Amino acid sequence: MTELYPVVALLLLLNIVVGLVRILRGPTAADRMLAAEMFGTSAVVIVLLMAFVTDNPSLVDVALVFALLAALASVTFVSRAWSAMPPSDPDPPCPDVERKP
Amino acid sequence: MALVVLAFDLLLAAALIWLAWQATRAADLFHAVVSFIVFGLLMALAWVRLEAPDVALAEAAIGAGATGALLLSALDRLARRPRRHAPLYEPGTAWGFWLPAGSALLAMLTLAAWNLPAPGLGNEILASLSASGVEHAVTAVLLNFRALDTLLEIGVLLLAAVVIWALGQAPPPLVPSMPSPALPALGRLLFPIFVLVAAYLLWRGSHGPGGAFPAGAVFGAGGILMLLAGARPWIRSSEHGPWRLILSLGMAVLLAAGVAGTLSGQDFFQYPKGTAASFILVLEVAAGLSIALLIFALYLRGKPREHGSWGAAE
Repeated sequence: MTELYPVVALLLLLNIVVGLVRILRGPTAADRMLAAEMFGTSAVVIVLLMAFVTDNPSLVDVALVFALLAALASVTFVSRAWSAMPPSDPDPPCPDVERKP
Repeated sequence: MALVVLAFDLLLAAALIWLAWQATRAADLFHAVVSFIVFGLLMALAWVRLEAPDVALAEAAIGAGATGALLLSALDRLARRPRRHAPLYEPGTAWGFWLPAGSALLAMLTLAAWNLPAPGLGNEILASLSASGVEHAVTAVLLNFRALDTLLEIGVLLLAAVVIWALGQAPPPLVPSMPSPALPALGRLLFPIFVLVAAYLLWRGSHGPGGAFPAGAVFGAGGILMLLAGARPWIRSSEHGPWRLILSLGMAVLLAAGVAGTLSGQDFFQYPKGTAASFILVLEVAAGLSIALLIFALYLRGKPREHGSWGAAE
């Protein structure tokens, strides 16, 4: 089973690279941020796979820190998006994130 | 299998270069910041591939985590600026400059890497590891063999915090215009885990990847999370007494440890025989606390208010 892990890691990295298109294209800030969050999750899995392949338990700590700080990035983004939207925020033409009434 | 690993490495390197390009060249600042956050994430993966889990840990905690939050929040300060449609540089001049400059830098780096002493200092460090007081080589280098470097690094962070305090009062932190019950709940749920992981990383530093820098960064990031979740800086007193104490604690304790060696007739930062382990433990805890509050202070973007709440002052 372990022989398959590098292949899975490669596929996940490929997934990240494909997801980079969302970072480039947007079109809204939320698309970019969600793509970044997806990368965070994929990176946790890649690091865990590497930990098992190389039999290096200290990599599990790296995955733990990744997972914790991905939460920080999403909370930063959410509180930024929900506070009064700065007028010059990114990307025309789509309205930015949900502007709830 | 080797082919798969090679493909992984090549893909990782290509994505890193592309993200670095995006982070520096994107006309839209939000786009650049998100590229930078993802760059930090993939950079940590690259450090894992290079078998440097210590650096990967620091990069994951500081590069992808704390810096991302810092940059995203800093964007709001720039929000009133008019939008730029044109790219930052003219395409023609950019190529005329970056192509030769990039090639020259690459050539110099290759030359430098070529001339590195072949085995490095790894064997010397492993040989004297038993005398260092810890079992992990990186911690031994950071807090024993090259403790002076750590002193200077914390000095740089402290200097940054001093400069930020000199800019004036901290602006009120972002408050979501639509209050969400999820944020405070998430803060309450996650902050204890941040503290636990920080303590774990600090303890882990004595025998594996971890130590004061990642622990401090995770603890500081927990503070930022609480701030975003609606908590307000809880350390309040006149003249910022506790703030000043904790911010300078790491620097002061490291300096004291260094001078203690000089005063007892030995070299600067030479710990008395047999006491290195206790010295390193005290230094780790002091430096970790300082780094946590320093990162939090950087995020506040100014001197915290002495009394009262942000809401009342506004």
